[in-house]
Amino acid sequence: MTTRRKQTAVLIGLAMAMWAPPTARAHHGSFISYDREKQWTAEATVTEFRYINPHVQLFFDVKDKQGKVTHYNGEMLPNPAQLIASGWSRKRAATALAAGTVVTVTALPAKAGGNVVLVTRVVNEKGEELLGAGPLPANPQAPPGAKP
Amino acid sequence: MQRLSILIVTLALFSVTLSAQERGAAPGAAGPPPAGRGRAAGPGYPKFFDSNASFNARDIAGIWTPNGAGFGGGGRCRDCGDRGYSFEFPVFTPAGQKAFDANIPSYGRAKDSADAKAHPEEHIGRRRAQPPALGNDTYGTCNPMGMPRAVLYPDPVELIVLPDRILQHFQWGYGLRTIWMDGRKLPAPDDIDIPRWWGYAVGRWDGDTLVVDSTGYDERTWVDYFGYPHSDQMVLQERYTRINYDTIELKMTLTDPKYYAKPWVGETKRMHLLPKTFIQSSGWTGLLEDLCAPANELEFNRVIRDPAGTGKPPAPGGRR
Repeated sequence: MTTRRKQTAVLIGLAMAMWAPPTARAHHGSFISYDREKQWTAEATVTEFRYINPHVQLFFDVKDKQGKVTHYNGEMLPNPAQLIASGWSRKRAATALAAGTVVTVTALPAKAGGNVVLVTRVVNEKGEELLGAGPLPANPQAPPGAKP
Repeated sequence: MQRLSILIVTLALFSVTLSAQERGAAPGAAGPPPAGRGRAAGPGYPKFFDSNASFNARDIAGIWTPNGAGFGGGGRCRDCGDRGYSFEFPVFTPAGQKAFDANIPSYGRAKDSADAKAHPEEHIGRRRAQPPALGNDTYGTCNPMGMPRAVLYPDPVELIVLPDRILQHFQWGYGLRTIWMDGRKLPAPDDIDIPRWWGYAVGRWDGDTLVVDSTGYDERTWVDYFGYPHSDQMVLQERYTRINYDTIELKMTLTDPKYYAKPWVGETKRMHLLPKTFIQSSGWTGLLEDLCAPANELEFNRVIRDPAGTGKPPAPGGRR
């Protein structure tokens, strides 16, 4: 195989990785814990980012209009293997989400309440989407094997 | 090349706005693929090899993947089948029904949801998911997945062929299963002294099909992600056939008279060949050490999984 064909194949693989529905990414089935009807978006300050199995985790603070700060524990659907496959090495991801970084987070709250959320999208101050997360598909609750 | 790169990335970004239903309804690849979530176009997996190239059907060494992106998320490829064992409704014995009812999975449609009620054509096993914090999946604390569940996970498996055995090295969980090819006989289920998470397995060639018979699995493993149970009487037969240069097809039959009133036939699965250098990290090629390490998992459960499922604050503790 030529180098060019290899590069093409890798790019196709990258594109397909980004295509994946969230349920297909998660090995825990943990998506079911969150309420996709109550998605919110807010400016947040990163307090910690964990590039670790089983899923990467983003911890952050959100300040409301009254100045009250609420801390959130955020689950993200990719695991490190997926991030590696899509070009987000540990160093790149950790740099982009270093503590103190201001980002815009889109998240689903837990159905049970509390301050744990599923982070579905992270955008930095330049408007760049981080970690390749994207908008949710219409029916993420469908099992991976759902037939057309 | 640059223009192609831009096109592919643009298509990928655009595609995430499509609904799952739209993706699933897209045209499939040539031939009658097993059911599985599809991709909008293309072969449905990273295509590196000419499927029509000549090959030795008994040469199965290499890294094979059922993953639509090769590895690392992305779900199972279109023609690989899904992560459930079967779409066929199982017929439980009373003991099997009791064991099935006791398992609480987190995959599938949410239990008692409108979505679950709208799909009576699916067995209830695919329509009873609960948050992992409320479930009892032993994999939730990193116990080995066992079989056939491990082969259903959408990540690569390396087949390492030795003179007297074949090793299945699963990337996810970094699990290792031994299939003995030295002619030994499989013990009867009742003769198993110590059940194994990965069972006892023997293989033989039936023409160009590798037939693997196995038993002696720890009863705490699940048949698949939907929490189908098996007893200590389960005998699993896997039939692996390399059907072209870059595809292995897998057919399975599960026999477990204690839990299932008749043999349960699995959905046909497929996996595709990856170049040995495809999986890379840290300038290193080969399977990732994608371990489910308790140190990671228990902390994840403490700060994420359990609070998300219960609404309670994380239990005291801390990351080590």
